[in-house]
Amino acid sequence: MTKPPSPLALADREHGDRIYRRLAVLLGAAVSIYFVSVPLLGLNVAFHFYMMLWVTMATAFNITSGFSGYMPFGYVAFYGVGAFTTAVLVKKAGFAMFVALPVAGLAGVLLSLLFAPTLRLSGIYFAIVSFALAGICRLTIANLPEEITGGSFGLQLGSRAQPIFAFYTMMAVMLAALLGVLWLSRSRLGKALRAVRDDADAADMMGVNVGWVRLQGWMLAAFFPALCGGVEAWYTNVVDTETAFNTLITAKTVIYAVAGGLGTVTGPVVGAIAMSWLDELIWRRFPLINLLLLGVAVMLLVLFLPRGLVGTILRARPQWRRYIP
Amino acid sequence: MTALVLNGLVNGIIVGGLYALLGLSLSLLYGVLRVVNFAHGELVIGGSFVAYMLFRALGLPPLYSLPVAAVSFFAAGWCAYYLLIPRLSRSDDPETMSFLLMYGLSIALAATLLLLFGADSRSIDYSFNPISVAIGPVNVSTARVVALAVTIVITAAMGWFLFRTLPGKALRAATMNREATQIIGINVVRLSALAFALAFAIAGMTGVLIALVFPAFSPFSGGEYSIIGFIVIVLGGLGNPVGALIAGVFYGVAEQMATVFLPQALAQIVGFALLVGTILVRPTGLFGFRALR
Repeated sequence: MTKPPSPLALADREHGDRIYRRLAVLLGAAVSIYFVSVPLLGLNVAFHFYMMLWVTMATAFNITSGFSGYMPFGYVAFYGVGAFTTAVLVKKAGFAMFVALPVAGLAGVLLSLLFAPTLRLSGIYFAIVSFALAGICRLTIANLPEEITGGSFGLQLGSRAQPIFAFYTMMAVMLAALLGVLWLSRSRLGKALRAVRDDADAADMMGVNVGWVRLQGWMLAAFFPALCGGVEAWYTNVVDTETAFNTLITAKTVIYAVAGGLGTVTGPVVGAIAMSWLDELIWRRFPLINLLLLGVAVMLLVLFLPRGLVGTILRARPQWRRYIP
Repeated sequence: MTALVLNGLVNGIIVGGLYALLGLSLSLLYGVLRVVNFAHGELVIGGSFVAYMLFRALGLPPLYSLPVAAVSFFAAGWCAYYLLIPRLSRSDDPETMSFLLMYGLSIALAATLLLLFGADSRSIDYSFNPISVAIGPVNVSTARVVALAVTIVITAAMGWFLFRTLPGKALRAATMNREATQIIGINVVRLSALAFALAFAIAGMTGVLIALVFPAFSPFSGGEYSIIGFIVIVLGGLGNPVGALIAGVFYGVAEQMATVFLPQALAQIVGFALLVGTILVRPTGLFGFRALR
């Protein structure tokens, strides 16, 4: 026996939704204008390219960790496979870049289907298995015949460097990821994912197809890092197993997403932008102890801001949850 | 061929003993605290560097640095517990957050070792008097035999501690049911600190032994040992010290046999595949039993 919501409550909700939409559009416009003008104003293209890359990675990671409750510590697997798919298709099969990139994204989705059986694990088991699977991917690609993946030297894309094109492609990927998550956070699928994360049995009782919902979230979360890997391969013109499967890529993705706050759309964006700046500052000031500071920053983050920047604000002001994307 | 297989078997048991120690301390931590120590490999390498430093500076043979590593790492673990863990338990999802915390610790430790010792591979230039001994038809370096002996002593001491003494029994009880242990009046916080410190101490000693058994180590080799440790505790069942011992030796023999029959790179994949397969088929481990909650 659910009562229909009173007109007052309805009006209130519509008011909240309006603010939410306005904030989303405002933030999206601000981010787009900022990044569009980076090459035009002659700002540091490389720095902003990687900032967008981390925003995309953290946002996509948020789909699997924030919405679905999985912590894939081998997230780099999708990135690396995307990078290698792009490189092999362009270099060996002679594909155009704009054909190779979507195929790389599909390769990420395909890999996620291959990893789908791990979704029945939870917590630390899932994290460890994911980590091991990333190791298997790296070793497999490193041991493929040298004619295909270039062995330990990797692949050079040669004269295909078009940094500005790659920059704007990265921006398109980032905006697609942000729109995707924005849609997800209000969609039926997003609600189902959250319900499954909080209590799979209860969601099952309510008629949610737990397995299918989880798989959808998982595929979505695999698509974007594969694209990121592909675009980065295009941008740097070089792919090799040591950098494309570096565990630091997973580490940074997780750290940036957690720094902003999992489960919100703005969290990973804020986290990735803030931490990219911090990383750059640390790099410039203390190039030697950069890695040490990164490690310490992770520990401090976990100990003092486990909910991230946005998550902490929302906890202090729960009523803002309706307005902030 | 039989000589190769025998060689693989003997070396597998020696290496497996070290893997068992990795698993023992990891499962101690996971059992009592539900903390998965991602930084374990770096701690182990830290132990190797302690032995290296003492040997270079004072000419101390590696065996004498065992107690030094044990005591200093025990103290470090005790402090680390009170610095890190009490805050951790306040977060929403302590288990995952502990993984992340230890990940940060592992990055920080590797970076510290890198700053102190540089990126080069190091080895301890020390040999025992007969360099090798013959076990049947197999020649094994004395260092490896000594390492195996020390491993057995450490394991026996841990076994005696865990099964015969009151604090050890309390540790096992906390593994089985933390709340109930608290109810009967055991100071779980101090017990956890003890588990943390013990795990660190075992890691330090493992590091010294690894410096004896393996030809070289560098600040970057920690990750490998963490992964081997994960494989071992998953095979043995998370939080089950006896299972970890058996699984460690099992994995050591399997790995050495794989290097006899397969190319090096494939042997590594075998380890990962073993881990993934075990978790998917039998999440409680090969030798595990369903944990009592």
